[in-house]
Amino acid sequence: MNYGPLIFLAAFFAMASSWCGFVLTPQLQVGQLQQTNTLGTTVTYPIPRPGLAQQGLQVYRANGCAYCHSQQVRQSGTVCDVVLAETGTNQPALLASLVKVKPGLSETEARDFIAKLPAPVLRGITKEAADAAAKILNAASAKAQVWIVPVGPDIARGWGKRRTVAEDFLFDSPVMAGSQRIGQDLANVGVRLPDANWHLRHLYAPRLTEKASTMPPYRFLFEKHKIEHNPSPEALVLPAEMAPAPGYEILPKQEARALAAYLVSLRADAPLFVAPLTVAAADAATATNPPAALGAATGNAAPVNAPAK
Amino acid sequence: MSQAPSSPPALAGAPSKIDASCRVPLLLMFICAAVWLVIASAFALIASIKFHSPDFLADCPWLTYGRVRPAYLNALLYGFCLQAGLGVGLWLLARLGRAPLAQPWLVIVGTLVWNLGVKFGIWGVLSGDGTGFQYLDMPGYAAWIMMLGCLLISLSGLLTFHQRRERALFVSQWFVFVALFWFPWTYSTAELLLVTWPVRGAAQVAIWGYYVANLEVTWLALIGLAAIFYFVPKLTRHQLHSHYLALFAFWMLILFGGWSGIPGGAPLPAWMPVLSTAATMLLLVPVVIVAVLIHQTVEGKWTRLMANPPLRFIALGAFAYLLAGLMRVASAGLDLHHPISLTWFAPAQAQLNAYGFFSLVMFGAIYWIVPQLAGMEFASAKLVRAHFWLALLGLLLSVVPLAIGGIVEELRLETSGISFMQVVKTTMPFLRASTIGDLLLGLGHVVFVVNLLGMVVRFYRPRAVSAYAAATMDLCAVKAKP
Amino acid sequence: MSRKANQSMPLTSDAVEPKAGSAAVPVWLVVLLFLLLYGGMVFFDRNGGWFNQQVYAPYHSVAELTSYQLSTSGPDIDQGKVVYESICGLCHNNDGMGKPNQAPPFVGSEWVLGSPNRMIRIPLFGLSGPLKVKGQDWNLAMPNMGAALPDDDLAAVLTYIRQSWGNKASAITPEQVKAVKAEVGSRTLPWSATELNAIP
Repeated sequence: MNYGPLIFLAAFFAMASSWCGFVLTPQLQVGQLQQTNTLGTTVTYPIPRPGLAQQGLQVYRANGCAYCHSQQVRQSGTVCDVVLAETGTNQPALLASLVKVKPGLSETEARDFIAKLPAPVLRGITKEAADAAAKILNAASAKAQVWIVPVGPDIARGWGKRRTVAEDFLFDSPVMAGSQRIGQDLANVGVRLPDANWHLRHLYAPRLTEKASTMPPYRFLFEKHKIEHNPSPEALVLPAEMAPAPGYEILPKQEARALAAYLVSLRADAPLFVAPLTVAAADAATATNPPAALGAATGNAAPVNAPAK
Repeated sequence: MSQAPSSPPALAGAPSKIDASCRVPLLLMFICAAVWLVIASAFALIASIKFHSPDFLADCPWLTYGRVRPAYLNALLYGFCLQAGLGVGLWLLARLGRAPLAQPWLVIVGTLVWNLGVKFGIWGVLSGDGTGFQYLDMPGYAAWIMMLGCLLISLSGLLTFHQRRERALFVSQWFVFVALFWFPWTYSTAELLLVTWPVRGAAQVAIWGYYVANLEVTWLALIGLAAIFYFVPKLTRHQLHSHYLALFAFWMLILFGGWSGIPGGAPLPAWMPVLSTAATMLLLVPVVIVAVLIHQTVEGKWTRLMANPPLRFIALGAFAYLLAGLMRVASAGLDLHHPISLTWFAPAQAQLNAYGFFSLVMFGAIYWIVPQLAGMEFASAKLVRAHFWLALLGLLLSVVPLAIGGIVEELRLETSGISFMQVVKTTMPFLRASTIGDLLLGLGHVVFVVNLLGMVVRFYRPRAVSAYAAATMDLCAVKAKP
Repeated sequence: MSRKANQSMPLTSDAVEPKAGSAAVPVWLVVLLFLLLYGGMVFFDRNGGWFNQQVYAPYHSVAELTSYQLSTSGPDIDQGKVVYESICGLCHNNDGMGKPNQAPPFVGSEWVLGSPNRMIRIPLFGLSGPLKVKGQDWNLAMPNMGAALPDDDLAAVLTYIRQSWGNKASAITPEQVKAVKAEVGSRTLPWSATELNAIP
């Protein structure tokens, strides 16, 4: 029996099955994605990166930055906070409901609490518990909101506010999500370190900004320039042992500028339907921490490993 | 030249005839592969040193870590693994089919074209043309040249399979035959959809994962297991325990291998990493099968696997396959809550798979095949032994510290009180140990190349000498004639 | 290069190729395979989101994802219910099932569950002319019942309609209502179904 063609056919079908699963279907599902709306607004997301940042993407690719840095934030679960925004008109009822919602709270503590609003009443609870608590507080004609808070070790480390999803990479080619974290995750580095000059100094001499860093210096992205009349505003500010000889300055080449622009454009924290989170109205542009919770210990909220159900 | 007393040399299906037909193409492939291996080791060493001494060669853009590491990986995979694998596969097809290699010129031209492509590819990666996809870093212009070379070589393999005299198939032939198609199919898909006409957005991550799984998990195992299932029974003079078990492993591999490549944290809908995890767990079955098959073939007497140097390499490679498979399963299982695949554990597992398993099996196969092709033993058995010990020690020192380092790194990353820099500092001693391992492996490769070249020189020198003598004798005769 | 040095690697007769025996596949291996397949299926069922492209880990289904859809100022569904029962429910019925010849149902209606941009426009400017709701033909005229409502209340009542009686869709925020008002500007005529269908 001539097995050859049979084996070929069988192998072809085996290959075709994984091709359908991980080439065709992703292209149909994810490859045809269009821009979407940021949650709760008509603002489209994502916006294509500005030209210099697009060039920076190519510099990132050419220098293999993805071999040390990932761009994928993970999320192990979602919890809810109940935040009291306004006291409303019926203060005694509000105090009573606060005690109901947070047993063990004393009257004085409750009074102190409502003096500094908005502030979280409860943190890290399930959605049902949060809705129930908010209902009780709202019934006392106060304004309580339920905030959606993604949690996970990456988020606790400040690397993002939510997980990265396909929409975050819609206009990038190639998509370099990275596979190692020899360096920090960069998915939201534009939020953490929005200053392009910081990035330029870091690229020139990583150990300037972080002594124990194992990142190699990218001095070849910069050039030594003779100071003509006045020092250029772009010249790097370096300490004495690294500064060039007097009369010279270190200027970033176009590649360094592009790379810095790209890094500053990296952010993936807009709330989306597929990755919901609540952004405090006052913090729409920058990321800040909500004030310390009522009666809770200070420090980061402990990551919850089970998704709130 | 060959010593095959049981079959007269005139018979076309005799091993000597088959080996003669394979000699030039395969020696060319193996030498080129060995040279790429040394080059890859040099890159690996440079990359490894840069971890704990980031200023090492930092001013040369061609040697920045982000370029030298993909140069190492691609030189290892495409320069050595694929080339040596195809060479060994062709020899297996020829021998098991009892027919000479078909159209050897196809293999010779294909090898030259392939190596040209790899040269362009590595040059492209080092000069900044890398694609940004790990394991697929070579720029498009190089990739399509390599593709052409691969097609020529595969064509010869297909013809060899088609023209076989022995119609009954041994299991290794199934594996090699499918491997001849598998790489061109998946490589061309990946190149077309990621490099030539890139798909949009995160779909690239899915297709990349598909390709990497098909290369690392399926293709390397297809050729590697073909060699293991051939050499273990042959060199221990036992029957392979079960034809059906081997084919069971074959089916599991080709059905589920390609599904196992999407990493857990990828920016893709949940069903993709979940299916990948499930497929990886299913790949435990071929790993178990290999263990059972080898155990039953040697009837439990493991010392039989130490009989001769090629077999030692292959046995160590099979053991590495088990370990790498278990590491992969562990990594996939933990990935949901403990993303160990983003730590040093993943390169350790990849190294154990591509190097510990595949490359060691290739070394064993080449150490057996080359003497058959040349009809003589290696000049120095000591060099072969030295290579074995360097490989074993180097592997232990490069894989084990990285694996442990990865576990430690993951535990510390999950503790939110520990800063990232502290985690980095913790991994330093492990990285230093692995540099020593890379150095030992590199030395082993130098030994390997020296040994191979020595064999080739010893084979061709008498011929060259006699050809020269014949030519000069004619000259003298002409001169002597009045 | 004497032969003596090469004793450890004799070039033996290599004419014999290996053979494979025909031992059967052990049963425990098949059991292992089925256990792994079963485990894989259970794992997929729990975590795979059933191939839905909107479900990313750690969410398990679109329903779970929808329950987490809140914007910064979450519309108050209870307030929405109050507004609904005083204005919309008079024609569309308090259970959202509509009244024949008076108002189409909201339950499972594609106009409710679809794009918010269409749904917001209807109470703001009215809707008249022929249209299909869940396969049934309607041809009535709805006045702009929501034009006089403040944005908060309109968002709340639309959210209430989208998330009650088994409907599962995202909330509508006052910002979205404002945005639609700004986009449309001034308009006196009610919408027709064809015009609305052209809006994304």
